[in-house]
Amino acid sequence: MQVSSLFLGRFREPVKKGMILFCMLTFVLYIYLIGSRLFAEESYGMFEMIRPAGKPLVQVMLACFGTALAFASVFLSDTKGAIETKPDGFFDLVSVVLGRLAMIMTAFIVLVMFYEVVSRYVFSKPTLWANELSLWIACFVFLLAGLYAMQQRSHIRIYIIYDMMPWWAQKTSDTISVLLITGFTFALIWGGYTDAENRFMRMETFGTAWDPPIPGIVKPALLIIIVLVCIQAISNLIADWNKEPEIHTPADEIDEIEIEKIRQTLEGKN
Amino acid sequence: MVDIGTLSLIILLGMFALLAIGMPLGFASAFLAVVTLSLKFPPDLLWGDFGRGPLSVLGQAVYRQMTNYVLISVPLFIFMAAMLERSGIARDMYSSLNVWMNRTRGGIAVATSIMAVIMAAMSGIIGGEVVLLGLIALPQMLRLGYDRNLAIGTICASGSLGTMIPPSIVLIFYGLVTETSIKALFTASFLPGFMLATFFILYIVIRTRMNTSLAPLPDPIPGEPEGSEKALMFLGFVSRFAMWVTGVLLVRALFFTATGDNAIRENQDPIPLGMVADIPWIIGAFVLFTVTVYVVVGRERTARGWDMGKGLIAPTVVIGVVLGSIYGGITGITEAAGMGVVAVFVIGMVRREMTFDIVWDSLIRTLKSTGTIIWVTIGAAALAAAYTLVGGPTYVANLIIGADLPTMGIILVMMFVFLIMGMFMDWVGIVLLIMPVFLPIVVRLPAEEIGFLGSVDARYIPIWFGVVFCMNMQVSFLSPPFGPAAFYLKSVAPPEISLTDIFRGFLPFIALQLCALSVLLIWPPIITIFL
Repeated sequence: MQVSSLFLGRFREPVKKGMILFCMLTFVLYIYLIGSRLFAEESYGMFEMIRPAGKPLVQVMLACFGTALAFASVFLSDTKGAIETKPDGFFDLVSVVLGRLAMIMTAFIVLVMFYEVVSRYVFSKPTLWANELSLWIACFVFLLAGLYAMQQRSHIRIYIIYDMMPWWAQKTSDTISVLLITGFTFALIWGGYTDAENRFMRMETFGTAWDPPIPGIVKPALLIIIVLVCIQAISNLIADWNKEPEIHTPADEIDEIEIEKIRQTLEGKN
Repeated sequence: MVDIGTLSLIILLGMFALLAIGMPLGFASAFLAVVTLSLKFPPDLLWGDFGRGPLSVLGQAVYRQMTNYVLISVPLFIFMAAMLERSGIARDMYSSLNVWMNRTRGGIAVATSIMAVIMAAMSGIIGGEVVLLGLIALPQMLRLGYDRNLAIGTICASGSLGTMIPPSIVLIFYGLVTETSIKALFTASFLPGFMLATFFILYIVIRTRMNTSLAPLPDPIPGEPEGSEKALMFLGFVSRFAMWVTGVLLVRALFFTATGDNAIRENQDPIPLGMVADIPWIIGAFVLFTVTVYVVVGRERTARGWDMGKGLIAPTVVIGVVLGSIYGGITGITEAAGMGVVAVFVIGMVRREMTFDIVWDSLIRTLKSTGTIIWVTIGAAALAAAYTLVGGPTYVANLIIGADLPTMGIILVMMFVFLIMGMFMDWVGIVLLIMPVFLPIVVRLPAEEIGFLGSVDARYIPIWFGVVFCMNMQVSFLSPPFGPAAFYLKSVAPPEISLTDIFRGFLPFIALQLCALSVLLIWPPIITIFL
């Protein structure tokens, strides 16, 4: 099946190979770590995973995992989902790639939770890390979801009056909206910068047994991602400037193509 | 600086103005948070020192929302619902219900309502549910010559039940905003949700009995079992399914006995249906069902009943996993949602429908919906934090309590506000923006004056108000001019059905919802029956 490439073009194949290679590397390392956990004296678990200093094996594992995620996000963002709007311009691409990362992470949260429930309920060995790991990942999922929703123009707006406005008034409104979003971003950074910087410098941890640096990572990430959202809003304003106005209804949320797919599923076996 | 009354007015007007120009709801509230702080604090305190000052509450409020464990259940429930939509589970369930009910007058409409209740118990999202019912049940009812208004109303009103019957995403958000126990909210909303569903079903049955032309009976299919034969087959199906359930429970209890997990210890709750003392009961039930299958009903009939009813098994398993995890004390809400995702995925694999494409499309849908919902939360959290910092909620509460209205008068005014807002705004916005102001007022009202027949204990008032709010939002899904259910149905209905037709079909059902709402207001103890 020939899938049309959005932006990778001739790099599509190498990226795909890279993704597969690093996924396999991660998997092999993972199996090895599990094995050494079972049989060897000195072994690495989740505790060491967030404290990689001086442990080359852990560093390699993390690097492989990160690279695999990066390749996978880039590769997957090269195809457009049926219900998505087409990315247009550089910032759209950044948002989509990060959105793909968030999608992979959502599935990952499910796996982590499943592992935790099985090990706690069936084997009576609750993990120390699963809850905090899902919390940590979820922070990024929430933040990146907003960036993605901004790129897809799917944030909740009320269109009743907006749709009745003439073209110039709509554009003025859009410009005001974007200016105010910028204002909020500015205020947020003005108030939160020192706090975020301090916590990042200290790598402040969560204060639990596994002790991941959630405040140390998430606080700065929050500021950075809100800045990205703001940039995306500006980029949307420019990209949509000359587009035809469209009439919005609450049915916009349910996509024609999606309904068609549900219909196919329903007719599938009849 | 500006006194709190003027400030509140500015915020309110600002909100209307920003929403009118089409600014995204979350960002509008976030910006108004900045406005609130700038009106309260002098500029040199606010902007004098880069990186600190009162503006830091914004970042803290957002961070607090992000690190809320229960919030993770939101994307997981959406993910689960998205995968359910794309599996054939709903279709099979509908044909099973159809087989059992098609000889009853109005049976297809009742089957649609029951199916909606089952789907509501699987996930907590509407939209997808209305679309699914519209695709499956509407053509069927129109083909059989059912009254169009009845068919439309049944589909949309029942499809909206998703947020009334647990798990419900509306109650999750209510619990997050007001710091109420979500599990208690789910338990409390159980009975009102079923009451509303019963109202719908009774309405269908009574109306079709009074006017039989509304729901013609289909011609009997030759060779189809009837009457008592069908009832026996249904009994056979239920018993055989119960044999499986008790069998699994037995294995589970034996497993716990073997591992010693269910030994009686102090300060530890016993595992429900997993203790050694439960084993004889489980075995007894298993034997009883086996006798029913093989002696009372007979093998042949059971096998046919099983074939006719097996579409109901997958939904029951999903409900068992999600609600069972929550109420069986196995997991919290968040992990229950995660287990629900796994359950739907595994059932999809067993049915050989699950593909990578379906999972991926569901993830795209999940992220899109998560982004839109969660970022309203972010903005609203910032606004609520800023407004609380300047003393807003206390001011509004004093204003209303000082107004010398009777207690139920205040509650009724609030209901009115909810219903009006519900016509124009999404429930997310209402729960996040209005609730932080309304709930403190309700909590300060004298608890014994709430309700006309009987009242509830003061500590249950937040739970009661959550259920009442949820019922209000049921109306908002249907109320013109922007009731989302109408637009969802329009997108899948035949073109000759116009939006006006759809809203006309809603009217009796909106009346039923208002009836259910008044039951909640008149007799609040209904929520404490299962608590």
